[in-house]
Amino acid sequence: MLKHRNLILWSLLGCMFVALVGYSYSVSTQTKPGSLGELLSDRTWLNNWPRWLDMPLQKWTNDVIAWLVQTYGWIFDAVNAFLLGILVSLLNALTYLPWPVVILLVVALTYVLSGRKWGTTLLVGACLFFIGFLSPRFWDKAMQTTGVMLIAILLCIVIGMPVAIAMSRSNRLRNAILPILDLMQTIPSFCYLIPGIMLFGLGAVPAIIATFIYAVPPLIRLTDLGIRLVDPEIIEAAESFGASPRQKLFIVQIPLALPNIMQGINQCTMMALALVVIASMIGTRGLGDEVLLGLQQLNVGRALEAGIAIVLLAIVLDRITQAYGDTLQKRKVKAEK
Amino acid sequence: MKISSKLLVAAAVVLGLLMSVPSAHACDKIEMGDFDWNSAKLHSAISKFILEKGYGCTVKVTTGSTLPIMTALYKGQLDVVMEVWYDNIIDQFKPHEEEGTVKRVGVNTPDSAQGFYVDAPTARKYNIKSVDDMKKPEIAMLFKDPENPSKGRMLNCISGWSCYTINLVKHHVYGLGKFYTIFDPGSSGALDAAIKGRFDKKQPIFTYYWEPTALMGMVDLVKLEEPAFNKADWDEMMKVVNDIKENGIEKLRMTKAVAYANMQLPVGINTRLEQAEPEVVEFLSKYTLSSAEVSKLLSHYLQKAGGEAEVTARHFLSTNDVWKNWVPEDVAKKVEAALSSS
Repeated sequence: MLKHRNLILWSLLGCMFVALVGYSYSVSTQTKPGSLGELLSDRTWLNNWPRWLDMPLQKWTNDVIAWLVQTYGWIFDAVNAFLLGILVSLLNALTYLPWPVVILLVVALTYVLSGRKWGTTLLVGACLFFIGFLSPRFWDKAMQTTGVMLIAILLCIVIGMPVAIAMSRSNRLRNAILPILDLMQTIPSFCYLIPGIMLFGLGAVPAIIATFIYAVPPLIRLTDLGIRLVDPEIIEAAESFGASPRQKLFIVQIPLALPNIMQGINQCTMMALALVVIASMIGTRGLGDEVLLGLQQLNVGRALEAGIAIVLLAIVLDRITQAYGDTLQKRKVKAEK
Repeated sequence: MKISSKLLVAAAVVLGLLMSVPSAHACDKIEMGDFDWNSAKLHSAISKFILEKGYGCTVKVTTGSTLPIMTALYKGQLDVVMEVWYDNIIDQFKPHEEEGTVKRVGVNTPDSAQGFYVDAPTARKYNIKSVDDMKKPEIAMLFKDPENPSKGRMLNCISGWSCYTINLVKHHVYGLGKFYTIFDPGSSGALDAAIKGRFDKKQPIFTYYWEPTALMGMVDLVKLEEPAFNKADWDEMMKVVNDIKENGIEKLRMTKAVAYANMQLPVGINTRLEQAEPEVVEFLSKYTLSSAEVSKLLSHYLQKAGGEAEVTARHFLSTNDVWKNWVPEDVAKKVEAALSSS
């Protein structure tokens, strides 16, 4: 039976391939060979890829984008307004607070999350100070970058976590989603940035969407892995106590996978920061546009200064998420003992 | 001694023959310089087609960025460059021009322009003609900035380009700052996508832009009137612009502000070509296309012709008759014959 199913699947794929080539040939506007005989006698088409053998993916994509923008433009506008609303209020809060207050709040947060580690706390405080110290212009820009990133990471968690949980429970779903994650990680970001602008308009929202696409795969992968790595004996024990699947997930699996999930969020944050400069090429305010401006003016010093500020911001976010992960890990080890 | 003098004579004869070759037949090899932007490619493709099919020349096109191509023209390694951004490279071009090695002949685009644009439907509906017409709260609300809803949004040119700071000063001096935020699109690709997106959604847009460009052939933007260009006021404005570039945005202050001067993009030749191929130079000096026409061709080039300049050149030559004014009748006939034969 399984053999038959494979046969059917493969022949179906084969038919689709032939149909695709046939369709591409029939819509091609290039000069085509007159007959099969011509193909056999004039073999120049074997040397250079023939013009008439060209999949019209370009046209399909352009048509779909144009159709989306023209008919469903208002949906994208609504999403844009919603995300922008959250971002603007977050930014207002971040820039309204005086900078010493922001530094103190972040330092206090680090102290608590890292389990009262003084070293990490001091490092984070120093990094934050140096962002503004490098150039006073950078403080507000760093806050803007942080704002865009926080929203993007929030979006990653809200959408990525349920996907990861579903993946961890079904192998078939996992096999379907993994190639999509590979695609999201490897496709050049400009491929979705420019259509993003046409759909959402210039500014932070296409950057948030782009950051989401780029940064969500590691979060999904690590969360899925974390849940799968939970000791089967512990799950068995939970089952024997009569835990429902939902209880099993929320009381046993997710808490035990938390160190891995934190690692995922950490990776997600780092990937998001990597996109900061590219995001500034589509008009997102932040540290990225200082780098871009420096390079456009051939002012290497200016670009480097801003580059270092981005690294400092990365260290801050990395230390906080990393330290929290460590704390969780320690708690877990303690609990297992 | 006797032999060498014979040799000399022979050499002189051969040399004389060689020298007379260009005038003996219609046209020889022409080295054309081309750039890596679309409008230049288009002009090169059109003139190449006419030169090859109409004048029987062999045209070799070399593509590069501004500096190497222009240097090759000064040195005589290239004969002609179809689109010279004269105002941008005036410092390098002028000395060679005074020496007599290069020359500007004709103007390939007489009316290239840059400035502030509004989409045509909005401009018609609200009767917006000039920058002053934009200074009304109800007009500003048409272009509402989603990040700062109390103002409209005007898209600026790309930060790092010189127009960026010039527009900042104009925005301030024209009094647009009270009504509009000024938004840096980050890159020209992003600016194009933003404009196209707004048009597809049928929403108003207020932006800096320039022509001829492919986008101008796809969308209908109306250029707003500004105080007319004059050198004195422009220089006054540039003082503030340069002050901002050196000392930061705090130096933004009231000054004069006027429109951008319309740039003429001439055809540049090495003067050697004038002696070698006077008929070709005659054609090059007549070569001219309006900015609107170039924009239309550019959008054909990018959208219909799949980025193939020769296809667009053929499309232009077979659908438009304006080029027949550039060449004698017999040449036009030959070009037409070449168009219909393939």
